[in-house]
Amino acid sequence: MLSRPLTALLAACALVAVLATTACGGSGGDRSLVHVPGDVATITKAVDRVAPGGTVLIAPGVYDEQVVVGKRDVTIRGEDRDAVVVDGGGRRPYGVVATADGVRIENLTVRRTTFYGVLVTGLHDENGPSAHDGQGYTHLDPDKFPPVQRFSIDHVTATDNGLYGIYAFDANHGVIRDSYASGSADSGFYVGQCRSCDILVQGNVAERNAVGFENANASDSVVIVGNRFSGNRVGMTLISNYQEAFTPQRANTVVGNLVSDNQQADTPEQATGGWGIGLGISGGQDNVLLRNRITGNVRAGVLLANTEDLAATGNTFTDDVLTGNGVAVANVSAARAPASGNCVTPAAAPTLPADLLADCHGTQPTGTLPAVDVPAGTSFLEVAAPPAQPSMPDPGERGPLPATVTMPDLDTIPVPAADLLADLAGTAQGSS
Amino acid sequence: MSDTPGISRRALLLGTGGVVAAAAVAAVGTAVTQGGPTTSTTTDRAPGVRATGRTQAGVARPATPQRQALHAVLRLGGGADPGPDLRSGLAAAGATILRLVSGPSDELPDGPGDLTIHVGLGPGPLAAIDPTLPAATAMPRFAGDDGIPAGRDDGDVLVALASSDGTALRPALDAVVASLPGATTLWAEHGFRGPGQGTIARNPLGYHDGIIVPEGDDELDENVWLAHGPLAGATVCVLRRLRLDRTRFAALAEGERDRVIGRHADGRPLSGGGPTAEVDLQAKTPEGAYLTPARSHARAAHPSFTGSALMLRRGYAFDRGPLADGTADAGLLFVCFAHDLETFVRTQLRLDETDDLMPFTTPTASGSFLVLPGFDAAHPLGHQLWA
Ligand code: HEM
Repeated sequence: MLSRPLTALLAACALVAVLATTACGGSGGDRSLVHVPGDVATITKAVDRVAPGGTVLIAPGVYDEQVVVGKRDVTIRGEDRDAVVVDGGGRRPYGVVATADGVRIENLTVRRTTFYGVLVTGLHDENGPSAHDGQGYTHLDPDKFPPVQRFSIDHVTATDNGLYGIYAFDANHGVIRDSYASGSADSGFYVGQCRSCDILVQGNVAERNAVGFENANASDSVVIVGNRFSGNRVGMTLISNYQEAFTPQRANTVVGNLVSDNQQADTPEQATGGWGIGLGISGGQDNVLLRNRITGNVRAGVLLANTEDLAATGNTFTDDVLTGNGVAVANVSAARAPASGNCVTPAAAPTLPADLLADCHGTQPTGTLPAVDVPAGTSFLEVAAPPAQPSMPDPGERGPLPATVTMPDLDTIPVPAADLLADLAGTAQGSS
Repeated sequence: MSDTPGISRRALLLGTGGVVAAAAVAAVGTAVTQGGPTTSTTTDRAPGVRATGRTQAGVARPATPQRQALHAVLRLGGGADPGPDLRSGLAAAGATILRLVSGPSDELPDGPGDLTIHVGLGPGPLAAIDPTLPAATAMPRFAGDDGIPAGRDDGDVLVALASSDGTALRPALDAVVASLPGATTLWAEHGFRGPGQGTIARNPLGYHDGIIVPEGDDELDENVWLAHGPLAGATVCVLRRLRLDRTRFAALAEGERDRVIGRHADGRPLSGGGPTAEVDLQAKTPEGAYLTPARSHARAAHPSFTGSALMLRRGYAFDRGPLADGTADAGLLFVCFAHDLETFVRTQLRLDETDDLMPFTTPTASGSFLVLPGFDAAHPLGHQLWA
């Protein structure tokens, strides 16, 4: 028998269980507000104490723990975003993981985990989340592990995490907002494996990651607006991936983002050699891109490729600024899955090959990007610290998260300035 | 596949697993005479392998492949409609197989030993019977296929024989071919395997091969056998005769070789774990490089990237001596089984794009076949095709 081990060392709750046996249960606890460390010493104990719908309020300090929030409608909130730090110590897999509906994670920093800083997922068992367990001989079964509903990640800083900074998969109806991610050896932000996701990704900064923002197999109603994905090795990707459920990736709305200068050397390397790319679409389909500023990426502003037999098709770019890149758009799709129907209006130049956009309605010609020397990576634990990040204003009294996300009015979102959110980004401040 | 202490598959391979392992190795050893002449008594022959049942022998049973094999690819005699002739020919071939494996015969005076013979049909005859049959469509051309000589990539019938006794193969093959009227041999390859337990043995590059395969009835049912309908118990076999540039591979530093494969020669994944551990596709160095290298064979071939079944691989080494240019016509006769043709096709297309092992291989023959469901005296070989 294949062993299909839980390779991800997902003993989060098992670990917790030594301290408090009910910590991973869905109930228990009766307090609507628990202070850490005022009432209990650890965030985990606070989650144990808090009632569903309650709040865990964390005072400044470094918390050497990993926290699983398996209780409905709980808010995990730091009193000071930069000074409340959940630290993985370079050896714990997770920072804060939400496996219940309606969880808010806000105003804190998560750093130095070996896998994920913040994770929201419906895929979990009594041992905690099971992202990437086994090696894909089996799949997420969405019937067995229905997506978590309603989540909010707001004003969270995730830095120096081994794989992903802030990650949601098998999750619907959520917001990732005004957050920051750096130093991820995979991607700073990752939204994956959902259909009719109803997820908003807005106002975030990703820098010094292998990839700034990644979407694998998250489709329809994923709205990505007003983010800064600059100063990574690759700015953002929209990809289909057979290793996970719900291929192909399709129909995201990407508006008003800054995706610039993605050839940052002082980051972990992108494991397949990615470098100098603004937006990569691999086997992604029917994505709508409006008024993004995609500039200064030395190899390509936009790169089209296939994922195995899944072609990049039907992606449309309208009124984007695509200047100052090695080429504006490149197509490197293999012959077995040729790109087609990818249209750029107004037409952008140069492209690879030169006639790539001549007729965007049919099959499109393919070229080869010139090889480049990619600089060696920096350890994720040694990537530069983020500049000071603003704390979240006191939200006052709030009810549970709503059933669906209120999306911004996209018509009002212009092409962003070249210095969008620059005050929050180290790479924009001459420290690169 | 866990590394059970004491009797792990590695221990059996290396004979270091203590008393239990040593005994198992000795038992395997009795079926394989080393160099010396085979004796003519029947008593020391390997135990027989059941020929009848839901599936044909030699695909998944015996669990440890016999160390000698002969794969023959045939062209059927003329006739636009292979139907009636093929139907009776297959039935006759099946009867011959049952005769050969049931006891001493003219061809095999010492009896069959552990001889297995299975038969498959290529896309030509399958499409003529019914173009919607599994594997009735020919494979696409893969990288390097243009160099395959004519007649070596479009066979009609596969007859695959395996035995501990290499001398049993040719007489048995001739008898089976003779029962198929008008059939001629397009190509045939004698293959051999190193010692091993289960499907794991060293391949011609010196690496343990056959580590990650479906094992046990559940995994075989899920990945290898057609599950439903009249063809339940059939499977799709792909043969690729891959000449290997072993000299160039061996000239690489050991670490470089390991990075091409994604494992050490004894099977240990570069991502950690014992010799039968699965590779970890996500694990990275702190600097962001994959521990199972981005272009390693183990990553490239991994079924998760193509959403494929896990194929059963039971390949054999071949060696035909020097070519005109002095290099060896030697390598791996790659043999795999899966419940659809797409599993191989999608994987090979991916290998062509992302596998650093492929530049060391040259395809010299190729074929895909539907290995027919099992048969017995009452249910002739191939009768399900006309069900
Ligand atoms: C001469 C050519 C080849 C050699 C020397 C070779 C060798 C190996 C070795 C050493 C391994 C690792 C051990 C193992 O898991 O068994 C392996 C794995 C594998 N190979 Fe090959 N191989 C060759 C060609 C192919 C081809 C043509 C395919 C299919 C198109 C293939 C499919 C696989 C698969 C599916 C695995 C298991 C991957 C996993 O799940 O970890 N190989 N091969």
